[in-house]
Amino acid sequence: MKARILERADVLKIVDLLRAQGYEVIAPFCGRERDTRFDTVTDANRDEIQIHLANPYYPPKRYVLPHIEPLLKVQQKNGEIKIEPEYETPKRAIFGIRSCDVAGIDHLDRFYLGRDFRDIYYENHRKNLFLVNVVCTDPERDIGDECFCVCADTGPAAREHFDLQLMDLGDKFMAVAGSDAGEALFSAAIFKKAAPENVEKRHRILDSVRGRFKDKTTSWFSATVRYISQGKVLEKTWEEIGNRCMECGGCTYVCPACTCFTVSDRKIAAGEVERIRIWDACALDGFTRMAGGFNPRRAVHDRRNRRFFRKLAHYFIQRELSMACVGCGRCVAVCHGDIGMPSVVESIRRATVEIEEHVPVKH
Amino acid sequence: MAHNLTTCTFCGVGCGLYLETSGNRVIGAYPSISHPTNKGKICVRGWHVHEVASSPDRLKNPLLRKNGVLKEVTWAEALDFVATRLLHIRDLYGPDSIAFLVSPRSSNEEAYLLQKLARAVVGTNNVDHGTGVYCNNSIDVLMDMIGVAASTSSIAELSQSAAILVDEVDLFRKLPTIGGVVVRAKLNGARLIVVGSRRNRIAESADIFLQIKPDTEAVLYGAMAKIIVDRGFINRAFIKAHCDDYESFSAKVCQYDLLSAAEACGVSADSIEAAALTFARAKTASALFSTVEARQQESVQALINMILLTGNVGKPGAGIFPLAEQNNLQGVCDMGVLPGRLPGYCDVADRNCRAKLEAIWNAKLPESPGVGARGVLTDRGHGTIKALWLSRYNPVKSALFGDAHKTIPEFDLVIAQHPFITDDSRYATVVLPTVVFGEEEVTFTSTERRIQLAKKVVDAPPGPMPAWQQIAEVARAMGTRWHYRSAADVMNEIGEVMPFYSGADYDNLAREYGRQWPCTKEQPLGTPTLFTNGDGWRRFRFAPVAVPATATPAKDYPLTLVFGHSLYYWHQDALVQHSETLKREYNILFLDYPKGFVEVNSGDAKQLGVRDGEMIRLAAARGSAEATARVTPEIRSGTVFVPYFMAEVEKNIFGAAGEADRTVPVRVEKIA
Repeated sequence: MKARILERADVLKIVDLLRAQGYEVIAPFCGRERDTRFDTVTDANRDEIQIHLANPYYPPKRYVLPHIEPLLKVQQKNGEIKIEPEYETPKRAIFGIRSCDVAGIDHLDRFYLGRDFRDIYYENHRKNLFLVNVVCTDPERDIGDECFCVCADTGPAAREHFDLQLMDLGDKFMAVAGSDAGEALFSAAIFKKAAPENVEKRHRILDSVRGRFKDKTTSWFSATVRYISQGKVLEKTWEEIGNRCMECGGCTYVCPACTCFTVSDRKIAAGEVERIRIWDACALDGFTRMAGGFNPRRAVHDRRNRRFFRKLAHYFIQRELSMACVGCGRCVAVCHGDIGMPSVVESIRRATVEIEEHVPVKH
Repeated sequence: MAHNLTTCTFCGVGCGLYLETSGNRVIGAYPSISHPTNKGKICVRGWHVHEVASSPDRLKNPLLRKNGVLKEVTWAEALDFVATRLLHIRDLYGPDSIAFLVSPRSSNEEAYLLQKLARAVVGTNNVDHGTGVYCNNSIDVLMDMIGVAASTSSIAELSQSAAILVDEVDLFRKLPTIGGVVVRAKLNGARLIVVGSRRNRIAESADIFLQIKPDTEAVLYGAMAKIIVDRGFINRAFIKAHCDDYESFSAKVCQYDLLSAAEACGVSADSIEAAALTFARAKTASALFSTVEARQQESVQALINMILLTGNVGKPGAGIFPLAEQNNLQGVCDMGVLPGRLPGYCDVADRNCRAKLEAIWNAKLPESPGVGARGVLTDRGHGTIKALWLSRYNPVKSALFGDAHKTIPEFDLVIAQHPFITDDSRYATVVLPTVVFGEEEVTFTSTERRIQLAKKVVDAPPGPMPAWQQIAEVARAMGTRWHYRSAADVMNEIGEVMPFYSGADYDNLAREYGRQWPCTKEQPLGTPTLFTNGDGWRRFRFAPVAVPATATPAKDYPLTLVFGHSLYYWHQDALVQHSETLKREYNILFLDYPKGFVEVNSGDAKQLGVRDGEMIRLAAARGSAEATARVTPEIRSGTVFVPYFMAEVEKNIFGAAGEADRTVPVRVEKIA
């Protein structure tokens, strides 16, 4: 991978370069207090773009998988039925996407594009998407209490799947190209050659940042993967977890790696029907309800354990090459009953420690 | 694209959320991390609130019935027609022949203007909100005992409660954000007491779950109060400093007997004692109940007595929470959409209150209380009501009493304000299309007294007009000089009329996350916890509650039939109908039981040999009814639950005599 150095004052010029190339650039902005958001960059708000801030809560996955997306229109006119797909093929760049969310998009790629059936709607959003990853280096502003990318092996610095990666070295920024398109940007005058001391500083900062993650969210992931994969988690534990679920679906909606949607047809005018797809969530009763009324996962805890089985069971990890959790911590903040990923891992750990006899390793 | 902070309009919690727009389209909704009430959390309804705004089947132009058919007309024609007909009916039959019913979802501004139209222009107190029948009971008790008809504390402060008592309300399904605060408080060490005849999901998290027999709350709380008094856990200093009528209360409370209370409630004496001691020993305790559930005044009085007895008012983590289930139930009550109370809860009979309003409104106000929603919707055959104004309210689908679909067609004039064609518009003379959430800037007041701005984030499609503006236009067409340039102007007048809203101008509300009333010019930041400073408030009052008589079950009718609300009905909700996800979720009960249902406890059903989905007969002394059985472990053994929408069941059980009790002894029979 090629690396370059640029001055702090030149960082937002990358946004300008991309806009000049015809990209709609999405970047993070501050809202009230701790509220932050991804939004389209305009001439008016360009200077308000934030490099260091709490990762926006409403994840950038909506730029490849919109909350509500029209799929096709069916029109009936003069006895004829016309079906027309509705495609959107934007040329978009996300500036300032965090490493966890880069991993999220990679996960969606493998789900929507990685197998026999390629989802054309997803592909249209994805094919012209340019990702400028910013490494989380500011322990106060970038790293939240809920972050655990170091446990999910997605951050704080993504290793791949971005076009360009930026890292704050203090007075300067280091840029790393992750694709040909990213490398092509280096022809601009703002990018200077990187020196060995820059690279060394990068390593030093990353080492210190890893130490800034909170203890409470870390570890035990792999053991949980094993317990879930082996079906060792007791029904009682799932019930306790399920009893705290308010069936809001929020964990799915904010999850960068959740892929589920439902499809619905709605009348939009006389003789005209639109087919849309909407984010769906396994917490909801209607998610697995079958046409005859039978629901294999009617009990709330059955729906809840499905989420964690889907994310952490070995079968799925093998199929998709990574677990479907990127460690962004959004599910911690969104959950009414505090059953986000870290709490569930903790509940499983506690329950299993109780039932399993602990045999110390002998040397 | 833009992201605008606004407030969710489904339930009474008033969660803060952002609407993301692209051009003139709302494309997403997500909760605010910083909002003090929901802190990044929201329920399934909030996640889909934006779908309503983008719904394609909106009404565009006013509709006027001509030769029996609703035809599109201009705004001028529609408004002129409404004004002329209202004046005509008033002059012919008197002001009390006209009634105004408001949805608990209507904004503060439209609720305020509509009751002003009723009182100051038409001259009647016939104003009420759709949930009035039940909620107004709680308002009377709260006004009498603590002088404020609202939560005394904030939702976020529940996290500081050492003990929380949840009375009957299904927090997980109806008010999930509050459910979450309670569950997390419990995880952090608070003790949770859940009371109710239904095993709601919150009961699974309870330390003590008292699954009492229906309508025995007053006995339970009386017995708990007796334990608190006998064991010396009362807060004497608080009672002495702030409360009246302790002696008469204590004279009644000593008549309670733990063992007979345990028998009456159907729970063990030990569990009652444990609950009483948990509540009394807690450093701070809160009690939550729903104002929408039908219940006797005594049960609310007995609950507030316990709060006063332990001094749990006026400090963070303590308080009484009469929960409003609809997003502006608190607001429409504040605005005086009550047949017996003016804006700010003043009695209509109070001459001074009337005089103050008459000066501001420049009109003479009626003195006697008006007819409430139940009175209006059961007016069938009496002919006292000639005209009805429905503001976003759809009694045909949602009223829990009377035969709205038979009563309403008898009226000479029916005016409906709504964004969609509803079942009520079928009987309407005029339909005035309103704008929806996100298309107008108005305010709502949440169940924690938080007055919040709902932002305008997109332009309304051509045609619909804000509901408050329609009311103002009608008033002008009726000869008044009402002049409001915007909803903000209306709010300024509300502040003039009601001192506890006087600081809540739009500029102030736009800062931070709304303001909790009282929000005055002197205290513009609002008041998260009431009664903290001790002064400026009138004294609290205990309510003596005599030991309620408990009915012994008749041999022939061993089960108790209870009427209540059901989520089933949500599938009829106009907002839910216009969201793909919500329609699916709230349709499930409807798909499973297309003809409705009555609920039978699983254990009882097994004994009776009744299976889920089977038709059964409910036999009572006065009549009998048939319905589909829904077998569920959620309801208490020995009870049968009938949702209000099963109107036929209600009618057949009570027979022609009508007037409903909430519980009736019945027996369940299999239909051979």
